[in-house]
Amino acid sequence: MTTAPVRTPLVRSSDRVIAGVCSGLAVHLGWPVRMVRIGMVVAAFAGGAGLAFYAWLWIMVPTADENAKRNARRPASPIAPAVSLPPVSLQPGPAAAVVPFPPSVPPPVGEYDAGTASQAPSPAAAPGSGTWFRIRSMRYGKEILLGAGLLLVAAILIARLLGVEVPLGTLIPAAAILGGAAIAWMQLDETRRAGLVDKTKADQAGGWARLAAGLALVVAGVLVMVSGSGSWQQTWLALLASVAVLGGVALVLLPWGLKFWRDLETERAGRVRETERAEIAAHLHDSVLQTLALIQRRAGNEHDVVRLARAQERELRGWLFKDPARDAGQLSDRIKAAAAEVEDGLGNAVDVVTVGDTEMTEGHEALVQASREAMLNAARHGGGPVSVYLEVSDGGAEVFVKDRGPGFELNSVPHDRLGVRESIIGRMKRHGGNAAINSSPDGTEVRLRLPADVADNGEGKS
Amino acid sequence: MSTSAGAGAAGRTVRVVIVDDHAIFRSGLKADLDPSVVVVGEAGTVEQAVEVIAAARPDVVLLDVHLPGGRGGGGREVITGSAALLGTTRFLALSVSDAAEDVVAVIRAGARGYVTKTISGAEITDAVFRVAGGDAVFSPRLAGFVLDAFGTAPADIADDELDRLSARELEVMRLIARGYSYKEVAKELFISIKTVETHVSAVLRKLQLSSRHELTKWAAERRLL
Repeated sequence: MTTAPVRTPLVRSSDRVIAGVCSGLAVHLGWPVRMVRIGMVVAAFAGGAGLAFYAWLWIMVPTADENAKRNARRPASPIAPAVSLPPVSLQPGPAAAVVPFPPSVPPPVGEYDAGTASQAPSPAAAPGSGTWFRIRSMRYGKEILLGAGLLLVAAILIARLLGVEVPLGTLIPAAAILGGAAIAWMQLDETRRAGLVDKTKADQAGGWARLAAGLALVVAGVLVMVSGSGSWQQTWLALLASVAVLGGVALVLLPWGLKFWRDLETERAGRVRETERAEIAAHLHDSVLQTLALIQRRAGNEHDVVRLARAQERELRGWLFKDPARDAGQLSDRIKAAAAEVEDGLGNAVDVVTVGDTEMTEGHEALVQASREAMLNAARHGGGPVSVYLEVSDGGAEVFVKDRGPGFELNSVPHDRLGVRESIIGRMKRHGGNAAINSSPDGTEVRLRLPADVADNGEGKS
Repeated sequence: MSTSAGAGAAGRTVRVVIVDDHAIFRSGLKADLDPSVVVVGEAGTVEQAVEVIAAARPDVVLLDVHLPGGRGGGGREVITGSAALLGTTRFLALSVSDAAEDVVAVIRAGARGYVTKTISGAEITDAVFRVAGGDAVFSPRLAGFVLDAFGTAPADIADDELDRLSARELEVMRLIARGYSYKEVAKELFISIKTVETHVSAVLRKLQLSSRHELTKWAAERRLL
């Protein structure tokens, strides 16, 4: 597996101690993560090369999530998976390091350092007994870093008590600079993941505060270090001078920065609009344009044209006005679906008005079936448009199906015709509801009623 | 509402202005309308509509809910722009929209009724005469919205309570939602058509003036308050 023909992309892993650089690198290279971590620590002592390398990878390498997002934005080719899959899936044996799709699957690094502690090249000088760092998720990462820092402070204090000369004047500013930079950069990392210019982010204010705190720490550290722990007056002078210089630079660079920012914003907004437009265009192409083409070909048949137009209208309405937050499969959705089915099948307009809604139960299933039968009858024998009204209240669910056909006499329906007697009246009675049919020469109305307590009991039965 | 109000047959004519941004729909509607309905003006945007209505002073305005121009308020903005004429000119909303807030927005702005664009010319003619006569025109769908907003539980209340519907008004709304014409409603409830119209007008008034939570929410979302 060391000579894997397909390397997994280099991403920062979610299995991380600091920023997931080492484990990501390990997955990418196919090496044990422990080796990479130890190597990084060793390199860190070689003139800080490891630290520099680590920082560079931290900044340049995206996290697994970011990478997945970036890949998802690419137009998906239907052939791509078929082309790229075989070489990976052909990999037999212990190909633990070669994960087919690392962006979505956390790399199985765990088995490499089972039992041993994973070392970390932490700027807070990780203590020797690394058992703490076996907690691989960052859930306690902050607490561990804080603890390490406090231990360090304690060690310095003890050393001073024992008479060892510690160069505090250099150490404190250096620690301040390191800590401030770490805070600021972690912030950069997080905001980059959340989208650098996402203003709606709720924790954005906290992010700015952390950035400011980091900056202040760094500035203070640099100042103290440069002014050489001298008098307050010197420090103030240095502060004044540096602020003046910074202000001048900012004044010059501000217009550039603003312009750059605005360009970025415009481009982003344009891209969002473009995506939305493409989505709408795709939907219209799949639905409306196809229907219009069909209508042109069937222009001679009025019945077909009306049916196509109604079906398309229904589909487009569903797409435009449907509330995505509402879960589908409620009673009203089922009644509307049944109406759509009848409309498609027989070509009569079926208008549905619903008031209230409820979850489906077995009793409601019977109600939907009976309603469907009533709509079919109304469309078939009534001939004209059909009105359907569903009302769900605390007392139960009621469905009214009305047409304006010539009407019929229930007793005159032959006994071998089961539509009305069985599918509507019988079905409702079996499920604890009732059905009434009111027919006159002006039209027919079928009233179906399912009491709420019956609908609830029906749920338990099989 | 397939039964004619009878006013057209009596030789009375109604002057209307058609406001819709689609010229094809306007000409189609004009061809569909009864000869007793005289189209005295047409408009395609909010500004044009306000201007044409002020100049022509029609009896009824057939008003599309979604219109370009103005401050983006559509049909509602036309009604508020013609507020001075609300006593003599009546508005009937036409819409392809199914969204409750669109419909409720124009009704609360002052429209006397709402019908969908797919209904036949005879039905629209009937609705125009009804609105011209001072009555309200409710489609089954609008009745459904009303029942949704006010609730379907019958209330033991006086008729002038704005936030609730009386038992009788609920019955009328429910029958309209079931697809009954005013005449059929009257027959079903053993009351006169005039009484049905009174109930419907009362519901319309409540829909326009009520401060019921659901309605104010719709209104607030549309910045009507």
